[in-house]
Amino acid sequence: MAADPTYSAQKRNPTILPQTTSDDDDGGPRGRHLPKGRHGDRKFGNIRITILCGFVTVLVLRGTIGLSNLVSFEADAESQYLIEETNRIVTAIRSDDDPPDPDDENSPNSTSAFNLGPKIKNWDQDKKLWRRRNPQFPYFINGRPKTYLVTSSSPSPCENSIGDHYLLKFLKNKIDYCRIHGIELVYNTAHLDKEMSGHWGKLLQIRQLMVAHPEAEWIWWMDSDALFTDMVFEIPFHRYRSSNLIIHGYPDMLFNEKSWIALNTGSFLLRNSQWSLDLLDVWAQMGPRGRPREEAGKILTSSLKGRPALEADDQSALIYLLISQRERWMNMVSIESSYCLHGFWESLVDRYKEMMEKYRPGFGDERWPFVTHFVGCRTCASNGDYPVERCLKSMEMAYNFADNQVLNLYGFRHRGLVSTNIKRIRNESVTPVVNVDKFGIRNSLRGNKG
Amino acid sequence: MIGRLLGPRRARQLQRFVRNGKLTILCLLLTVIMFRGYLGAGRFGTPEKDLDDIRVTLSYIRKRPEPRRVLEEAQGELKSAENAGAGSNNYADFDIRKILRDEDDGVEEFKRDPSQPYSLGSEISNWDEQRAKWLQSNPKFPNFIRENKPRVLLVTGSSPKPCENPVGDHYLLKSIKNKIDYCRLHGIEIFYNMALLDVEMSGFWAKLPLIRKLLLSHPEVEFLWWMDSDAMFTDMAFELPWERYKDVNFVLHGWDEMIYDQKNWIGLNTGSFLLRNCQWSLDILDMWAPMGPKGKVREEAGKVLTRELKERPVFEADDQSAMVYILATQKEKWASKVYLENAYYLHGYWGILVDKYEDMIESYHPGYGDHRWPLVTHFVGCKPCGKFGDYPVERCLKQMDRAFNFGDNQILRMYGFTHDSLGSRSVRRIRNETSTPLAVRDELGLLHPAFKAVKV
Repeated sequence: MAADPTYSAQKRNPTILPQTTSDDDDGGPRGRHLPKGRHGDRKFGNIRITILCGFVTVLVLRGTIGLSNLVSFEADAESQYLIEETNRIVTAIRSDDDPPDPDDENSPNSTSAFNLGPKIKNWDQDKKLWRRRNPQFPYFINGRPKTYLVTSSSPSPCENSIGDHYLLKFLKNKIDYCRIHGIELVYNTAHLDKEMSGHWGKLLQIRQLMVAHPEAEWIWWMDSDALFTDMVFEIPFHRYRSSNLIIHGYPDMLFNEKSWIALNTGSFLLRNSQWSLDLLDVWAQMGPRGRPREEAGKILTSSLKGRPALEADDQSALIYLLISQRERWMNMVSIESSYCLHGFWESLVDRYKEMMEKYRPGFGDERWPFVTHFVGCRTCASNGDYPVERCLKSMEMAYNFADNQVLNLYGFRHRGLVSTNIKRIRNESVTPVVNVDKFGIRNSLRGNKG
Repeated sequence: MIGRLLGPRRARQLQRFVRNGKLTILCLLLTVIMFRGYLGAGRFGTPEKDLDDIRVTLSYIRKRPEPRRVLEEAQGELKSAENAGAGSNNYADFDIRKILRDEDDGVEEFKRDPSQPYSLGSEISNWDEQRAKWLQSNPKFPNFIRENKPRVLLVTGSSPKPCENPVGDHYLLKSIKNKIDYCRLHGIEIFYNMALLDVEMSGFWAKLPLIRKLLLSHPEVEFLWWMDSDAMFTDMAFELPWERYKDVNFVLHGWDEMIYDQKNWIGLNTGSFLLRNCQWSLDILDMWAPMGPKGKVREEAGKVLTRELKERPVFEADDQSAMVYILATQKEKWASKVYLENAYYLHGYWGILVDKYEDMIESYHPGYGDHRWPLVTHFVGCKPCGKFGDYPVERCLKQMDRAFNFGDNQILRMYGFTHDSLGSRSVRRIRNETSTPLAVRDELGLLHPAFKAVKV
């Protein structure tokens, strides 16, 4: 790029330039080198200036109206614009949340008993009557009780987009399991009640589903950071004929140690019954945001082993409830540890490769965990309790570990546990129904056999 | 005057000097301007802004060998680089691509023979018989749930990698939740695909191998309903008129005249369509696929389609244009089993619908499925997962929120809630709870609708 191409061009080709007049010359000879014309010389100089000025004007205009095509970083400018625009929009989306509640901790309601809803007294009878009148909405299908799996996440985007990506993948995982096993899936993204905020919201969601769907026999709550890693395993419902709550945990940790992690409320089932509605009502007392939750938190920290000082959470509250009102509730509670209704991820993810070598889907326990639960990763927030790389890598592995079991029917498999790409592991067949019978999970389940 | 002061010779010298000076200054100005432009500081802001811009550009030149992912940096720009280490607990600037990689796990891979012309799979000619036999041996999986109610599998999907746009995954999540809700109400199963089955059939063509694979692996499915990830259900109460389709195999939104007479490339839409599980469908998929394989084949096919179809712009072959071409040129073979539906919005272009939601709420109610209350609002061209769409980002996202809430309100109403407004994420109660919940019926009757009922 020349500094002033026009000038040098002018110098090279003076003859092509138009002649202009100028009046800045006085009389007197210009110089002996150009005897022909003072006029020509003068005009020549003026023309050069005129053209240069014209050129400058054009450039300025180009810059002003944005036609900076000379610049090779135009794509960069566009990208810069996009970044700013997207940032602005993302910020706007994230900030469009509920306005801060003017009623804070000193709300008058905080002292009276909290209600999840009006007290329902005859639920078992009402439900039975409804079911008899509506056989077209069965509560028992193919040997299995009708189950609603409910999970939820916030209506706002996650703090980081990777959080939303894993919410999406984990939801796909739940869709797959529920499709194979005939379970209804409910994904909630609404804050139904300002007081029962955060994890406490699940109590209201469970109750709401129970009373709206009398055909539902079980409501299964599952956290959004938990996923199914055994696509074959089914909950052995026949074991729980006289139970109303199925939850993962350890009885000795619960009653002997009174540990705050004796049970896990990230994945549990509640039968649709009066008993469950009553339990939810009592459980909810420690939930309301503000004073009640803080006070309850202090009680829980002093009563439960290992619990740090924080406001009441639903898990500690349930543990405390079952310990302190043992006679009332425990005879209908099944504390399960024979399979991973909740499987803590840290002790499982490094063994997936070993599991694939030694075992097969269907065990549901430590050999092939039913559910892997990423407690503490908090991918939807900005920080978790564990290093980011470990969490994300493990989540990707767990997802692919499970997805391989779904893809098996179609003859595909991931290229390793940390790959989003798949490879064909079975040739296309001219009799695909043979593969359906052989590899289809649904067809081989107990209640579905022909 | 100057001449009188300095003398003629001096005056001339001065004039020459001044003239040259003017020239010099102009040239200098030119140089500066052009250099500013080259260094990226072309926006004529303050000198400080110029220095910033120049600094940015020079640092870019230094980093040039590494390609820059524009929108991911937008998020992480403000955070310090030290946090991106392996020990960091902060999600903001972690690049997932660091950990994703292919590995060989020893399981044998079967590859397609590249010397053979492309095909979706082994040729099958007796699928109807195979399927009928299977259905007979598996009475627990009937292909009809009730009379006139076929078993339907809704298929949709997205990339297994995070979206390039930071809010793309959030909108994909909302979109699938919307589909989950509709399908739960209508007794439809969902398959959410996140795997590219065939590298050659990439992009919009990826649905073809997927659809074929699903049809053959799920003989119990009577209809496969393909739906794009950028389409949302906005009428939760509308049940498809299955009896209307009992003699056809392929239902798409479109107009007969636009296909058979005009050969218009947007005469139908392949963003939402029904395909029956039968031999005919396998055959049309085989006819459809040849324009798909990426590279030369797709480009050449694109030229043919642009030439043959009305108003089609120049770009590689897409599945929609290909289907228009097939139907228009092979009408006798296929048309009798194809139904171009336009009585309701099996696909509803968002541009003409989203501004009318409030009017619809005022004047109509769910259940129509048509212009009064569209079944599907399809955000064609928005591409929320990608970096660039055909429309302004803000309009797309805002309208997707509104469409989502419009549909979600119908779900929330079942439980006595509604969104505060179509643009708001928060909800409020509109129906008081009661101690006898079974005595109250939700107004739309969606809790226990007739179309969900099973055969007794």
